[in-house]
Amino acid sequence: MNPQAKLVFIASLLLGSTITISSNHWIMAWTGLEINTLAILPLISKSHHPRAIEAATKYFLTQAAASALVLFSSMTNAWHTGQWDITQLTHPMSCLILTSAIAMKLGLVPFHFWFPEVLQGSPLTTGLILSTAMKLPPLTLLFMTSHSLNPTLLVILAILSTALGGWMGLNQTQTRKILAFSSISHLGWMAIIITYNPKLTLLNFYLYALMTATVFMTLNSMKVLKLSTLMTAWTKAPSLSAILLLTLLSLAGLPPMTGFLPKWLIIQELTKQDMAPTATIISLLSLLGLFFYLRLAYCATITLPPHTTNHIKQWHINKPTNPLIAILASLSITLLPIAPMILTII
Amino acid sequence: MALAVMLLNGASFHGGCCRPKVLLSSLGPLLSNSKLYSSYRRPGAEPEKKLSWQNADFSFKKAIDHLKTQLSLLKKETQDYLKGPGGHALSQHLLEQTRVLWQFRSQEDLNKWVISSDVEIGGKSKVYIKLGRNNQAALLYGTLNTEVPRDGETQYSGYCSMRSRPAVGSFNRKKYYDWSNFNSLYLRVRGDGRPWMVNIYTDPYFSHQKDDLYTYFMFTRGGPYWEEIQIPFSKFFLSSRGRVQDNQHPVWLDKIRTLGFTIGDKVDGPFQLEIDFIGLLNDRAHKEKFAYEAYDKNTPV
Repeated sequence: MNPQAKLVFIASLLLGSTITISSNHWIMAWTGLEINTLAILPLISKSHHPRAIEAATKYFLTQAAASALVLFSSMTNAWHTGQWDITQLTHPMSCLILTSAIAMKLGLVPFHFWFPEVLQGSPLTTGLILSTAMKLPPLTLLFMTSHSLNPTLLVILAILSTALGGWMGLNQTQTRKILAFSSISHLGWMAIIITYNPKLTLLNFYLYALMTATVFMTLNSMKVLKLSTLMTAWTKAPSLSAILLLTLLSLAGLPPMTGFLPKWLIIQELTKQDMAPTATIISLLSLLGLFFYLRLAYCATITLPPHTTNHIKQWHINKPTNPLIAILASLSITLLPIAPMILTII
Repeated sequence: MALAVMLLNGASFHGGCCRPKVLLSSLGPLLSNSKLYSSYRRPGAEPEKKLSWQNADFSFKKAIDHLKTQLSLLKKETQDYLKGPGGHALSQHLLEQTRVLWQFRSQEDLNKWVISSDVEIGGKSKVYIKLGRNNQAALLYGTLNTEVPRDGETQYSGYCSMRSRPAVGSFNRKKYYDWSNFNSLYLRVRGDGRPWMVNIYTDPYFSHQKDDLYTYFMFTRGGPYWEEIQIPFSKFFLSSRGRVQDNQHPVWLDKIRTLGFTIGDKVDGPFQLEIDFIGLLNDRAHKEKFAYEAYDKNTPV
């Protein structure tokens, strides 16, 4: 892409995210969300493939509708309470509408249908931005209004998301769709704890962004778009495939990797809130996610397939792997021992 | 690539582009000043479709039977889902290099395909399909007639085609094929020397792209011997309503709906094609990603 155009889009994304995160007025929050939506559309449809254009159209329609709902909920709250402060969203109907609007923005069930398709239509780096950076502004809005949101609704959305994210990811053969369902599943974990301890939501988000960035960048360096390509990636970057195994298990939430930390803390908080059955249900449902992470790891590392591929793109990597992958991978695997320190700084 | 070659007007299987819209006929008097589509119904086009509520058959027993079939389909789908991608075990998905998609051995195999010709726009070609000798192949035969129907609109005519029925899951949901493991189409055919077009339709979500078709040509030899034709997916080019597009893109194999064969080589006369099977192949020696416009279009000056 033209470097100047890329600069404009990346700068717009940063601008939009910053505006939303730092706003106290609902209109500014909405502005930031809209800027984000518009700025990422060219990044999704960069290749102009009909499927990429379809993905961009779906993204635009859902995000625009969700932004309109955000504005509507803030407007009804302003009508009833006379102010537009984000943290003072007190009218119950506004809270309900806001929750569903943010659920649409994030991709929580039952508003998740756009997410796998959009991720499948976009390139891997844009998929990374969609899964991590684009989730931060809506999450901050939920964070700021978390004291007035309806816990029951959020718990239901969260359990459904974990269930469907796990269940629908089971039979996918395209890696981007698998990562989309993993994102939906993790969003469920983030949503379930937001009314009880919002800081754990943010911790979960940060660690999820770290691990997902590692996985996306690893897949991007090997140009892996489907499982059969993943099988033959070990010949190109053997140590990277080995680290991918550990990163995927971390994403699944297995101790002693980092990914276990947010799940442990969330289960602890839910138990303290006298919601032990809920904690059990959500933990059992994330076992489904473990299945497809293990399947990815199986294809990448655990088995050595009998064939190598002759595609030119797979013959050799054109440019050396980004050293950032090494940093992100080591962080996403080894942060669990410093959990006490992390607890003090979140 | 400014190849705006017009293949055949109406070469797309959506023939009868000017079929009257039902809504328009009910608002006829209101819109008589500006007609969006002509109300002329081509001779071969289907007569006005009965509206879906006029088709309602309030039979409780039939409803229960229908529900039972759909639920059994749903049960089968769930069991296939539990087995693995595509209803097979993961090891099969990862290791397979060939797959037979359609094999013509019985009448029910033939029922999975739909034949059509330019009769739907008023032309005179004929096409038939039957099982070949010893039930070993499908025989698609007929006569191509390029005589243009005289309706003042059509400029070209003369095409016949065979297209697979789109897969339908439980409760009439769309099912797509996932051919991402493979990189070529493999056909065992015995033609008569005439060139055929192979069309892949990836049913898009939005209707703006509903005419998008990925096409390539299959040149048959015509001898008494069977031919095994291998067409890599990297060769398929994008066309829409029969017009080759300027922006070319490779076909994405993860969501394919139908495959079709069309003959429209502007030659009057009989044609014949026997197809033994249609399959997929993962040719490890084929390294090409996409055959068209491999150069960088946006080099900085």
